[in-house]
Amino acid sequence: MFSIVTYFSVEALLLLLVTALLYACLPQKLRRWVLLLASYIFFYSISGKLLAYLLFSTLSVHHIGLWLADVQNECAAQTKGLARDERKALNAVYQKKQRKIMGFACFIHIGLLVLLKYTPFFSENINTLLKLAGSSFKLQIPKYLIPIGISFYTLQAVAYLFDVYRKKIPADRNLMRLALFMSFFPQLMEGPICRYSDTAVALYDAPKMRYDNFVLGSQRILFGLMKKLVIADRLNLLIQNVYAEPNKYDGFIIALSAVGYTFQLYADFSGTMDLVIGAAQMFGITLPENFKRPFFSATISEFWKRWHITLGTWFKDYIFFPVSMSKPMKKLTTQARKKLGNHYGPLIAGAVSLFCVWICNGLWHGAGWNYIFFGMYHFALILGGNIAEPVVIKITQKLHINRASFPYRCIQIARTFILVCFGELFFRAEGLKSGIKMFCKIFTDFTFASLKSGSLFKCGMDRQDYIIIIVSAILLFVIGILQEKGIQIRNSIAKKNIAVQFAVYYALILFIIIFGAYGAGYVPLDPIYAGF
Amino acid sequence: MIYVKRIFTFIMFVLGLVGLLIGSSYIFLPKSNEKNSGMEEFKANGILGEKANSIDILFIGDSELYSSVIPLQLWDEKGYTSYNCGTSGQTLDYTAVMLNRTFEKQSPKIVVLEAHAIYRKFTVKNVLFTKTADYFSVFRYHNRWKTMKIQEMNKPAEYTFTDECKGYRFSTKVKASENAKTHMKPSDKSAPIEKLNRQSVLKIKKFCDEKGAKLILVSTPSTKCWNYMRHNGIEAFAKELQCEYIDMNLMKKEIPIDWDKDTRDKGDHLNYFGAKKVTSYLSEYLESTALLTDKRGNPDYEKWDLALNEFNKMLKEQHV
Amino acid sequence: MDERLLEILEDIQPEVDFETCTTLIDDHYLDSLSIISLVAELEEEFDITIPTVEIIPDNFNSAEKMWEMITRLSEED
Repeated sequence: MFSIVTYFSVEALLLLLVTALLYACLPQKLRRWVLLLASYIFFYSISGKLLAYLLFSTLSVHHIGLWLADVQNECAAQTKGLARDERKALNAVYQKKQRKIMGFACFIHIGLLVLLKYTPFFSENINTLLKLAGSSFKLQIPKYLIPIGISFYTLQAVAYLFDVYRKKIPADRNLMRLALFMSFFPQLMEGPICRYSDTAVALYDAPKMRYDNFVLGSQRILFGLMKKLVIADRLNLLIQNVYAEPNKYDGFIIALSAVGYTFQLYADFSGTMDLVIGAAQMFGITLPENFKRPFFSATISEFWKRWHITLGTWFKDYIFFPVSMSKPMKKLTTQARKKLGNHYGPLIAGAVSLFCVWICNGLWHGAGWNYIFFGMYHFALILGGNIAEPVVIKITQKLHINRASFPYRCIQIARTFILVCFGELFFRAEGLKSGIKMFCKIFTDFTFASLKSGSLFKCGMDRQDYIIIIVSAILLFVIGILQEKGIQIRNSIAKKNIAVQFAVYYALILFIIIFGAYGAGYVPLDPIYAGF
Repeated sequence: MIYVKRIFTFIMFVLGLVGLLIGSSYIFLPKSNEKNSGMEEFKANGILGEKANSIDILFIGDSELYSSVIPLQLWDEKGYTSYNCGTSGQTLDYTAVMLNRTFEKQSPKIVVLEAHAIYRKFTVKNVLFTKTADYFSVFRYHNRWKTMKIQEMNKPAEYTFTDECKGYRFSTKVKASENAKTHMKPSDKSAPIEKLNRQSVLKIKKFCDEKGAKLILVSTPSTKCWNYMRHNGIEAFAKELQCEYIDMNLMKKEIPIDWDKDTRDKGDHLNYFGAKKVTSYLSEYLESTALLTDKRGNPDYEKWDLALNEFNKMLKEQHV
Repeated sequence: MDERLLEILEDIQPEVDFETCTTLIDDHYLDSLSIISLVAELEEEFDITIPTVEIIPDNFNSAEKMWEMITRLSEED
């Protein structure tokens, strides 16, 4: 059996190609089986027997969904024709029952995720506490094998159940449709985190493969390959050195590699998303976008609406609003609004919910203090931004600064980018301590000496490497601006005559082959988000 | 009709792509086999600059090999012409590439394969890459964009460089081995050989048979890389291949390696002093095969004497 | 449409013309905090409960959509 480590491997692309070929040749009824089979083969080739976890989650989601539906149907039948008061009372009884089921479901799914992913972290910290308290007792630190994509498919499963609970969608009786929804192989490893209403029906329908979809999909895959092979893997030359031994480098190089890492993370993750969404498009499946030019964001909260979008909306829909709309919070908001006014009133409830979101967001990325710090950092920035907003508006008005003007927006964008880079510095650092050290070094040990002496070009990346990175960054920048203006680049290329189309593809392919960081002397970057 | 058109378009696309790959491969191919021209593994590939049909023995393997066999010593002692094509971390797919390249211009009578490479893992993916890179060298040499000059882009490739030590890498560093006492403790177990590796060696054997070259497997002394289980594995495999296997790790009399002095990195690789002992043994062994002729004094091989002089001069400078 | 609704909206976000705008959420005129405040206000004013499931861009993109949701919820109750 072959094994896959990343989407960017010959094996994964081969699996995609074979699946696409079978998909194109077979009738509809078999096509969905092709997808499901390919998904399980894919999962098995990465995580082997841990496939059982996915199967368990799928069965459990199916069963609990139907359970909820039964309760809801029973409730509807019972309350039919009753007077309003009686209906309300009975509704409440059934509501309680459903809540218990949801509690049980969360316990199973989130519990499994927490057990596998966080027990080592928690038990380590408990041990530290015990030690501080002078106890000689020590918890055994368990080590679990974590099935690939569990952080992603668990969120999908929970979202599905909540949507059923909220009657947004009916429970699905069809086990296969749910199984496909949970396991569709392009998105299995790194998302996007899909909603049942987004993809399940389309996956089960397994639409006929269309030529234009195939072309557009492969275009996007190529573009993703470019981001990954040319940018992410090349930047790795510098980044792995600097983050492994930050003491050896001065503040300028650390600042440079912090920016470099942010760009690498973007290239790696959004490149993977291009590959994933492109692959799904080949099958005629539209997956939700995960990135919308995040570096054009004016504020941190806008950044999170453009970066890893599906995770952000998941947290918004299943944590932020449920918390802020809970009864005590609503009461708090109404009262606070009267006392503190329109801006600061809802901020209290908002802050509490935001805090929940960012603790979860930090932890979701991994069990470690630097991830929690990363979450809290963004929590503080977003909250701070909100608190300061009225003041900033007043100041700018006094100074007659037009907040909608282009220069003002540019300054905002630059500020947001710098803040994001600092956040990612802590995110990537080997532990929180190292992150703080690196952060301080940027300010205490900043010198351009390494640039002048040329020793900058001996930290892993040479002069030519930098040139290629800058050229690619400009390319992405231009494409980003065009997309911001609403131009659909891939479609407009596909509409051009065949010679132009060929030229574009050839140029892209040669660019990847020549400037890709592969072969002797390069170590490809492990997929960053698959580790979460 | 639309399908015909699409298939036609697709074929045109692929043909165009292949054309571009051939073109760019031509541009990126190093125009000489020197290091400065971007040649990969230029020391081993120095064999491409040797006179046609002048090499009688080809040594091939990984760093174990290039640290322990000195072709110029063989010339000095017996007048045999040989080349050491060891490369760092060589996998068998690259071994096959080197063999193919060599046999295009040379016809060695003996091919000596260092057995450590047989245990180095590689994947079908590596093979695929090596194969593709063999047809389209742009995949192997794409990194040359960093150093390439415009003038050399469409120059024809001329490989005239040859390594002054014929592929041997000289070192006099000493770092004693720490596990010499337990080295080669007898064992009944046998280290299994990966399927892909077996197949590759079988192919190499077949290739040598076809070309009329005798394949010999050798394990050069190393306390780090070799043990009795591997010995057993290769011995059984050599029987299956019907070729000779020499395990120098067991020849404590014939090759008296002093593990305190003859290794440069704690028993992983030999230094010059160890290599001298290994090569001395090899020259006696090669003579016993009676397949080779003494080329000393032959005016066609004058250059070998020159190379030997240079080598000896270098040794003197290093006070060896 | 109800005057009370427009009043609430203008109170929360004075800079927007709520009678015509149909992209309140999509173009970020109403952020998450405004929504929190808005929902609390609407619930009090119209004596309804807005469940979390209703909090989707589609329901809040225009004053008209909000009014539709309010009437629907008060009938359901």
